[in-house]
Amino acid sequence: MTVPRNLSLGLFFAALAVVGLATPGFQLLAVNQHLFLAVNVLALNFCLGLGGQISLAQAAFAGLGAFGSVLLHDRFPEATLVIVPAVVLGTGLLAAMLSRPMERLGEGFLAMATLCVSLVFTNLVLTLESVTGGSAGHMANARLALPLLGSLSGDRATFFCFAGLLALGSYIFLALRDSRLGRALAACRGDAQAASSLGVDRAAVRSLSFGLGGGLSAAAGVIHGHYTGFISPEQYHLELSLKALLFLVIGGPGNLLRPILAALVLETAMSWLSVLGDARTLVNGLLLGAALLAGYWRASR
Amino acid sequence: MLALYLAQIVNSGLALGAVYGVMALGFSLIFSASRLINFAQGELLLLGGLTIMSLAGVMQLPPAAALLAAAVAGFLLGRTLFSTTLGLTLRATPLRQLMLTVAASLVFQGVAILCWGKNPLMPPRLLPLPDLRLGLFFLGRDTVTALALAVAAVIVLGLFLGRTRLGRALRATSQNAVAARLQGVDTVFCHALSFALAGALASLAALAVGPQTGLRYDMGLGLGLKGFAAATIGGYTSLGRVFAGGIILGLAEAAMVLTVSGEFKETAIYVLITILLVAAPREHDERP
Repeated sequence: MTVPRNLSLGLFFAALAVVGLATPGFQLLAVNQHLFLAVNVLALNFCLGLGGQISLAQAAFAGLGAFGSVLLHDRFPEATLVIVPAVVLGTGLLAAMLSRPMERLGEGFLAMATLCVSLVFTNLVLTLESVTGGSAGHMANARLALPLLGSLSGDRATFFCFAGLLALGSYIFLALRDSRLGRALAACRGDAQAASSLGVDRAAVRSLSFGLGGGLSAAAGVIHGHYTGFISPEQYHLELSLKALLFLVIGGPGNLLRPILAALVLETAMSWLSVLGDARTLVNGLLLGAALLAGYWRASR
Repeated sequence: MLALYLAQIVNSGLALGAVYGVMALGFSLIFSASRLINFAQGELLLLGGLTIMSLAGVMQLPPAAALLAAAVAGFLLGRTLFSTTLGLTLRATPLRQLMLTVAASLVFQGVAILCWGKNPLMPPRLLPLPDLRLGLFFLGRDTVTALALAVAAVIVLGLFLGRTRLGRALRATSQNAVAARLQGVDTVFCHALSFALAGALASLAALAVGPQTGLRYDMGLGLGLKGFAAATIGGYTSLGRVFAGGIILGLAEAAMVLTVSGEFKETAIYVLITILLVAAPREHDERP
């Protein structure tokens, strides 16, 4: 069973590499936005797919990564090697800490609590205008730079950064899922009370998966923030969290490839809908509703 | 000076709180009957309010007819929401049902954008109630309208749930759907009824909030979330407590605007809601 899974993963990343090499640079702009979303879908899969915890805070974690890295690079432009791990780890720790008191909340209440976390982030960015630029946003002048690789700028370099992050995230996801910790998480997802009675420290294991998801979103935010050259609360708004959750539900939480493919395919289809103008919101809703219903009917047959 | 501040907090807090309270009643009706958190509750308010605004503009509705039209329009919208979400996926996971309400909210928002555009619209005051002075406190006509609508909604809903056969069937479904079904209650019909009643309540809330803040295509999420928070404060079971939750939230919000700052208000309210959800989990541990 392992071979087909590895084969499909290998094929997916090979196809992704071909897309990155063959697509003209300027056309990668839209692809990179979809990859940013796909990394967030994978990040959410750590929380929901492994730990059974819904989260609408992925946008806030991605935003923390973007704002943290860009603002710190403004002060220390040469310190990428220190800033990026610090921002990613810091956000992951924050996510893990937030997860602990929320661990006992049921699905709907957890959705609402994490939705509030997302809105708190957006409103804080708007309120702290002198630091963040508020609704007007903030220019990201400094580029990410690594000692041997140099500046990580441009469409193609960003594409491979996102693809690399997706590959790393997928590796960690699979390694975690197949480990003892992954089985503890699966037990929490299946029946939280039974897992507790078997001695699983639910709050601890779930905060780890939540923290990993938060850290991965933050890493995606770091790349995205420097890539776009401009950060604003609009880019890391609740819509990003909702989209990530929708695509994960459509693809199936716990599956690795299907949610990522759902994000890439459906988001591409939805971006083509921009020609519809004001009708776009309605068609987006219909498309997502149809995908959710199709998944339900397929599963119930 | 302090008295002036207090009067201001009470006036604007009650105006918003009554709206949150009515929204909270809709949330708790659906949640109690089907354990589903309805993300599209705010869009029910938006679409109901815009529909009534257009109807009133075309037909010159008198106040009683406007109230009736709002209730009927909301009822039909809520029933439509049920048919396109929970009604289609009764056996689906709660998560998929929750996400379907998100998709439905996008569809409702899309309809609002296509039919009424993206600019904020200020509906007319359909209920001509006067200002009211109660000693120190002055209640503006928007506050009086919101309170009158909300209190009437609580009383009518209370009578319906407590005194009618259908209302008792709805309560039985809320308490134990399996037992209710064994007693011959059509629980699917009760789920549909809870959605329809929540739609009617949201539409009535639109009559109160429309003249205060205007109606805009993207206002649904914020209002829906406040309604949800109010229902959480109230505990979902008692109509009076749920409505009181809305009033408390409205007063807290108004107090924050005057004492802290308008800019910081939203952050503080969402932090408060998060703390409330986390600190009061005994009622809803491990529930959807």
